[in-house]
Amino acid sequence: AITAKSDCPEVEVPVPLFFTIGVVGLAENFLVVVAVICNRNLHSPMYCFICSLAAFNTIASLAKTWENLMLVFAGVGQLDQRGSSETKLDDVMDSLLCMSFVGSIFSFMAIAVDRYITIFHALRYHNIMTMRRTAAILGVIWTTCGVLAMLMVRFFDTIFIMTCFIIFFLISLVLIGCLYVYMFMLARIHARRIAALPTSGSGALTLTILFGAFVVCWAPFFLHLIIIMVCPLNPYCECYRSLFQLHVVLLMSHALIDPAIYAFRSAELRHTFRKMLLCSDWR
Amino acid sequence: MSDFHNQSQASARRSDYVWQYEYYDDEEPVSFEGLKAHRYSIVIGFWVGLAVFVIFMFFVLTLLTKTGAPHQENPEHAEKHHRPGSCLADNGSPQDENERAFSRPLLPESRSFFHFYISEEEQGQGKCKAEDQGGGAIQGQRAQESEERQPLQGLVDEGKSDRESAFLSHFNIPNFVNLEHSSTLGEDDLLLCEPSAMLGSQSRSQDAHRNIN
Repeated sequence: AITAKSDCPEVEVPVPLFFTIGVVGLAENFLVVVAVICNRNLHSPMYCFICSLAAFNTIASLAKTWENLMLVFAGVGQLDQRGSSETKLDDVMDSLLCMSFVGSIFSFMAIAVDRYITIFHALRYHNIMTMRRTAAILGVIWTTCGVLAMLMVRFFDTIFIMTCFIIFFLISLVLIGCLYVYMFMLARIHARRIAALPTSGSGALTLTILFGAFVVCWAPFFLHLIIIMVCPLNPYCECYRSLFQLHVVLLMSHALIDPAIYAFRSAELRHTFRKMLLCSDWR
Repeated sequence: MSDFHNQSQASARRSDYVWQYEYYDDEEPVSFEGLKAHRYSIVIGFWVGLAVFVIFMFFVLTLLTKTGAPHQENPEHAEKHHRPGSCLADNGSPQDENERAFSRPLLPESRSFFHFYISEEEQGQGKCKAEDQGGGAIQGQRAQESEERQPLQGLVDEGKSDRESAFLSHFNIPNFVNLEHSSTLGEDDLLLCEPSAMLGSQSRSQDAHRNIN
């Protein structure tokens, strides 16, 4: 209907690409979760937060892939789009997606704070970041995400919720950025080495990748949300909106590259993967 | 109306968000007449801005590496809870820290760094060689965690005020490029060796190291 009359037709991403990104992201992150749970050496706060991030990414990839499946079936005519069970399932998918978005942001913040404490309060790290506190923090994160997701899906059509979502994103972006840059500056001055970052590359490159990936993958989607609220009828805005599927692909690919940035940096985790995938007995 | 709704639902689902349609009515299509700039100008502007931001951030971080960002009367300094450990195995306090240091599951990277430190110790390269293994272990632990009190401990073993002045003078060092090229230990520099190499010309550090050794 509308796309036929518009000069900015909606850019469609082929479904196989959606599926590939979704499935690969799902597999990667699920592997990370399993590896952290199974290997006793990885039961430390830092890996718990990485595991939580991977779990949220798994949920996001799962929900997106499931939604794609449903779209494909609906397109083929197997599903009734107006059916109540389908709409309910769609609501569940949306709430899972919202939950995982918010949750992964919270996990990034937790990882950044954990790294901060690791570096600057190293001797008291054990007292500050006990496993019990870690479990409490994770419990709070997951509960908050669940509640927020339900609220968001229930009231997503109100401007207020969307504004909150966007403001939350911007605040966490600034917070995480400041934390990392602060750590980077101080650590560079003192030791030329930042814990949990690779020794070979320069810290600047690693930090740029970490933060840059976050911004590049998330910002387009959030600009989309802002544009929907601010200028729905403007032709320039509509041309931006026509790229929606590309932005969703970017968001999903962030779930894909997250393990590479956070989890696979750790030699212990890579070692666990190798053992798991090669099915050798490592217990 | 139901057909229309069906169609709109279909393309809305294709867009993956039903609520899009609640925001713009498709009964009157957006007019593209008389656009002054290119249609995709927002898109292009956004991506150019994002690329500039990322590249700018990278350059800022790289510059910070080179120049050392000296504006560091930092809040860490206000934190006096930190117990002074040092290259001189300090009294009894390092013992507890030692226990803690060893009982703590080391990050894999830090573990490798720790081993590197031990091997460096064996080579006797570092000027900051600890008196005993316990002190060295703490040193390694501290170093790898880039504890910011580190340079002080190695340089000066005096009162806190002296440490502070040493700390601040440490930040007056204008460029770290020397250190990068002259250091034999490379990226895994021990924290104490770093300032000692850096302040090689400064008498105070030499005295301190003579004291330590």
